Amino acid sequence: MTVVLWLVAIALAAAVAAAVGRVWARLGAGGGPWGTALSRLQRNAGGMVALRFLIFVASVAIFARWLAPFDPNVQLDIIALASRPPSLAHPFGTDIYSRDVLSRLVHGARISLAVALLAVLLSITVGTAYGAIAGYLGGRVDAVMMRVIDAMLSIPRILVLLAIFALWGRVSLGALVLILGLTGWFSTSRLVRAQVLQLKTEEMVVAARALGARHRRILWRHILPGVTSTVVVAATLGIGNVIILEAGLSFLGVGVQAPTASWGNIIADGSSNVAGMWWMSLFPGLAIVLTVMAFNIIGDALRDALDPREIQPA
Amino acid sequence: MSRSLLSVRDLVKHFPITRGVFGRTVGAVRAVDGISFDVKEGETLGLVGESGCGKTTAGRAILRLIEPTAGQVTFDGVDVLALDAPRLRALRRRMQIVFQDPFSSLNPRMTVGAIVREGLIIHRLAEGAAAQARVKQLLEEVGLRAEYANRYPHEFSGGQRQRIGIARALAVEPRFIVCDEPVSALDVSVQAQVINLLQDLQRDRGLTYLFIAHDLSVVEHVATRVAVMYLGHIVELAAADDLYAEPLMPYTQALLSAVPIPDPSRRKQRIVLTGDVPSPADPPPGCPFHPRCHHPAKDVACTRIIPPLETKADGHLVACIKQLPTRITWEEQQAAGATMPPERYVPLALATRS
Repeated sequence: MTVVLWLVAIALAAAVAAAVGRVWARLGAGGGPWGTALSRLQRNAGGMVALRFLIFVASVAIFARWLAPFDPNVQLDIIALASRPPSLAHPFGTDIYSRDVLSRLVHGARISLAVALLAVLLSITVGTAYGAIAGYLGGRVDAVMMRVIDAMLSIPRILVLLAIFALWGRVSLGALVLILGLTGWFSTSRLVRAQVLQLKTEEMVVAARALGARHRRILWRHILPGVTSTVVVAATLGIGNVIILEAGLSFLGVGVQAPTASWGNIIADGSSNVAGMWWMSLFPGLAIVLTVMAFNIIGDALRDALDPREIQPA
Repeated sequence: MSRSLLSVRDLVKHFPITRGVFGRTVGAVRAVDGISFDVKEGETLGLVGESGCGKTTAGRAILRLIEPTAGQVTFDGVDVLALDAPRLRALRRRMQIVFQDPFSSLNPRMTVGAIVREGLIIHRLAEGAAAQARVKQLLEEVGLRAEYANRYPHEFSGGQRQRIGIARALAVEPRFIVCDEPVSALDVSVQAQVINLLQDLQRDRGLTYLFIAHDLSVVEHVATRVAVMYLGHIVELAAADDLYAEPLMPYTQALLSAVPIPDPSRRKQRIVLTGDVPSPADPPPGCPFHPRCHHPAKDVACTRIIPPLETKADGHLVACIKQLPTRITWEEQQAAGATMPPERYVPLALATRS
């Protein structure tokens, strides 16, 4: 019965993957500046491997409930099954509380990715808005806004985070996303501001003003599309960064709170005896390293594919 | 004579030079330093001058794409510089601009159709299918195929892109267009096509142009009247025929002597200017052209008296106190240290040109 269900599921997944692949290929051949960028991305072999890996990790995170063999938070048998090395029943072993490490890893992917994704979404939104306003308005407003950014960037992010957690201690997941997001947008706003400064003097923007366009239209239609590639690259690289940051904080016990699994606190649970109970740190460690590497490779591939000099052949 | 559609009086644009963290103003680049002229309905006024003389700044200040420092601009009886933002946006329908650079002036992320349609949407002139039909009509009017609406600017040549820019300007049915060096970036063979297009459009739609250029032979071909700019000033303004037949400002004479004449049997005299254009941040006192002037009567008075733009012949205005006639009397000039009386100076080869 279960086997049949699995086969059906695999067949369905294959059909969906094939359909997505066809659409993907057609988009790349679609022409236009974005289609051209996409087809360049599709020709980047490393980038495509990284992308496939990330799709895999994301699917694992999305379908964690059905993929995980055990409940990640249930202590199976604290006496007989604590700290067992990998076996057939528990391929990644069990932790000191007899929980299945594979199940925790799969559920941890959900938390780690969701936290990073949402935090970066927040930080690029705030960063883009702030940078665009500073760059577009220019003059005194810009000078003041940028001095604020200079001040913020002069404090190491990890110190700010530790100070915040020292004040508030344990925080909810939502608060963690907010804190990570609101401490990560300074460099994005700088990038965006620099690009807006350059774009707003271009003749296409002067032309839009000459046509009588309002500021909102100029920003949305003529300036912000020009910064999307920068923002997309910054966001992709930022996700990798935040995954590491979240793992570090969770390892220190101030990020994602037990018993909720995140890649960082799975490692923390095994940190008392890394050599003896290697499976508790190796598998989540690998997950972190591979995922962050994939995000960085994709980020570089996107940077190449979206290169504005290539979009605007001049 | 038809009435003037645009009138510019004492237009000034100074760009402040700031220094230090607090942006102390330490000087100003006098890009446009008090220019006045009229553009009559249906004519083409050529505005010529070297790079950096302020002609582009003048064109943009008239349209308030750059806020002028001082002066007055009247368009069809409306005081342009006094308009608030909504009224200015409404007026932009009537005053358009075509740019020099056919690459940076078109948004690479928009289709040609979207670029041309933008003005229609901003001024609510047409929507949906009607806008699409109008875009196709405009593209055909500028000599492009209607199907090009779905393509992106990078798929086109410089000349075609310039046509797209013209279609964008025409979409809002303007009466007046500032053509800011519209052909300078194009190959010579393509220049003629674009100029012919501009002239056809002018004839069919009764357009009025301010045609900015640094190429005198292009301006000779299109302009009804020509204004010559030097260091932020207009130094000569005359009907095109008069200006090319008998340039009276020594600067214009030098410029015209550099225009090649396609006739090997004609010998011509070249007036070679020495030195560089002075910095507009530190313009010379008196006549801005005096350090490079070759007028035989040039003397110390030229460094002290700012020459007024005055009538030397019918409809021929020149800013030169040494070119007769002048309302700066000999006595006044002597009071300023003049040693050489004014005289009519028109180098022979130029006077007999074409």
